[in-house]
Amino acid sequence: MTHESKREPGGRREALKAIAAVGGAVGCASLAVPAARFVLAPAKGGAEGGRWIKTVPVASLAEGEPKRVALIADHRDAWTLEKQVELGAAWLEKRSDTVLAWSVVCPHLGCAVGRAASGPGFYCPCHDSSFDGDGRRLTGPSPRPLDALPTRIEGGIVMVEFQRFRQGTPEKEPVG
Amino acid sequence: MRAWVNHPAVGGGPWARAIGSAVATCVGILGLTGVVLMTGYSPSPQGAWASVAFAQLVQDGGWLVRGMHYWAAQALMVLAALHVLHGAFVAAYRKPGEIGWWLTLAVLGVAMAQGITGGLLPWDQRGWWARVVEGNIVGLAPVVGGWLQQMMSGGPELGALGLARAYALHVLVLPIVLVGVLWARRALALRVAASSAPPATGTVGSRLASGLLLAAAVVLVLFAITRATHGAPLDAPADPLSDYPARPEWFLMPMFALRKFFHGAMEFWGTSLVPGLAAGYLALLPFVDRRDGRRAAVLLPVVGIFGGAIALALVAMRHDARDTGYVKARAKADVQALAAAKLSVDGVPPGGALEMVRRDPELHGRDLFDRHCASCHVLGDLGDPEKATATDLDGWGTVAWLEAMMHDPDRPQFFGRGPYKGQMPSVDARPKDKPPGEKWTPMVKSDADRHAVAVFLAGQGEPKPASPEADDALRARGEKIVSDHCTACHLYKGEGDDEGSKMAPELSGYASFAWIRTQVANPASAETYREKALDEAMKRHMPRFDGDLSAADIDVVARWTHRHSRETTLAP
Repeated sequence: MTHESKREPGGRREALKAIAAVGGAVGCASLAVPAARFVLAPAKGGAEGGRWIKTVPVASLAEGEPKRVALIADHRDAWTLEKQVELGAAWLEKRSDTVLAWSVVCPHLGCAVGRAASGPGFYCPCHDSSFDGDGRRLTGPSPRPLDALPTRIEGGIVMVEFQRFRQGTPEKEPVG
Repeated sequence: MRAWVNHPAVGGGPWARAIGSAVATCVGILGLTGVVLMTGYSPSPQGAWASVAFAQLVQDGGWLVRGMHYWAAQALMVLAALHVLHGAFVAAYRKPGEIGWWLTLAVLGVAMAQGITGGLLPWDQRGWWARVVEGNIVGLAPVVGGWLQQMMSGGPELGALGLARAYALHVLVLPIVLVGVLWARRALALRVAASSAPPATGTVGSRLASGLLLAAAVVLVLFAITRATHGAPLDAPADPLSDYPARPEWFLMPMFALRKFFHGAMEFWGTSLVPGLAAGYLALLPFVDRRDGRRAAVLLPVVGIFGGAIALALVAMRHDARDTGYVKARAKADVQALAAAKLSVDGVPPGGALEMVRRDPELHGRDLFDRHCASCHVLGDLGDPEKATATDLDGWGTVAWLEAMMHDPDRPQFFGRGPYKGQMPSVDARPKDKPPGEKWTPMVKSDADRHAVAVFLAGQGEPKPASPEADDALRARGEKIVSDHCTACHLYKGEGDDEGSKMAPELSGYASFAWIRTQVANPASAETYREKALDEAMKRHMPRFDGDLSAADIDVVARWTHRHSRETTLAP
């Protein structure tokens, strides 16, 4: 019996080896596939379009004077859901019949853009990008103007379409 | 044992591997303190900052363990860089040392990756914003940039999964890589030393002694730094909506500085190619240096890389130090960090440190007032008296304020510069437009009566009247005057306004927290001011904030305003 394997060198032992190899490969793959899917999951989910968010009454905006307003809606982060929290903010400015909106997120690398220290326009404190009163880039590393957000007015309330864009690109590319 | 100690050591004298020993000591400290820190850390956006603050400020020995871990990590990066520099100068990359040289470079790379992933774990402002910007830089990479960024951040935004990923990398994956690289490096060095057999200048014993001595020195130095700094820095909890002046970790400052020179499409060169070329040159040194004697030409770029990095970092830091906007923003962030740390000692709500900050009047209320109220109102150091268009809130609701206001409501710091100018008559001064002969009776007959009304109204704003019981009679007198005379225009407990002005505010609970909260949410609710307060004719009237701010934010800003209007005094 102990010599059986010697007598059949290409027989049962080889078959067992092959079965073990296949079994091992299947076993590893059956672990690796779900593991890879799990790890790669967050990379999925590209642009899904903006969300219309109710902000402030038009009447609360002064003509030609930008105002920073909070964009309040439900916020989902993996397993957490926060009801009615600030998702972000936008600069709103009334221009006669319309309201313009710009995301406060700097198109360069994502810091929060504030008002310029003096005069009209906006300024980012991280890498010194500055923008004029229409959101156009004046100086600094920002590759594009401030990201304008679509607005509409419903019953005297300014609605803003909240959307994130990829940072650092010359074109606006929606993310999230 | 004695034979082993006296055995000649291979590869140089007692200090031949000083940097290597110091690196090993740091890695040992990092492993030990790291495991200890893990026993008190919660890798979630809600728990991370709170658990780190607890370790640092409350738990016994926490500041020491965290400080040692932090400073050993910084030391590891410095030592790894020195190791590279030393290796370049002694030409350690030459055959047969090429693989050892690449492993030395890998140690520096992994140490920096540990610095980046570890920096995120406290989930504080500094770490969070540094990572957001770094993530966006990764996103600039062609083709895979966006994908890689989302893999790192755990989604389109840096969130819970991004933190969990950084944690897994920091405590398990990268340490295994680091130890593996160090082990391979050592094994390789021993084999090379044994085969090339340079003249031994010491024994195993002397090598061991010098190694232990050096390890002790490293521990002592790190201990001294930790003691002096009392642990490791901890900024305020990460707040994605704050105007935080983001800066990278110190070892990435050179790249931050490069960014200022390259704009637009050129930015890729500054952020990736320049550091990439530097790393590439170091990696290719074994092929660049052909032993033909021109060492200076080979070493000059190495000196340039390290010297340039230091110079760039210094330039960036000097630029920041001279930038008043940055200095101010940084000072504000430091005040917030200290306040948040103090607050956390009493316990952090289960919703997390950000919730704690957002519910605190001093931390968030002041900020909200600055952002939403100070363009019209003045309170304390917020708001500009020159530009204010509404009531000055210094001392608002106090006896002194009420007495002065009732006498002269149209003084600029009361209603004089706002839309309510001319709406309220003085309670005891004859109106200027009254003809001299005409009969006129003041609403309040004496200064004592006016004082009684002020004491009564000031009490409306306090949860409990702070004044002594002897004032009870005074307050009762004030209340009688209010319900008899003031309700001609005002409401008191919902009753009054015989003239139908629909403007003058409710006086019960005047200037209390609840009154302010209602007023901020909607100044025309009739529980404070009324319908006319939002009238188009009232140019620049107070807006309603209930669509603009969340209910929780209105609560917080009302609480801050209530507290500080009473802590300040009416400007003369």
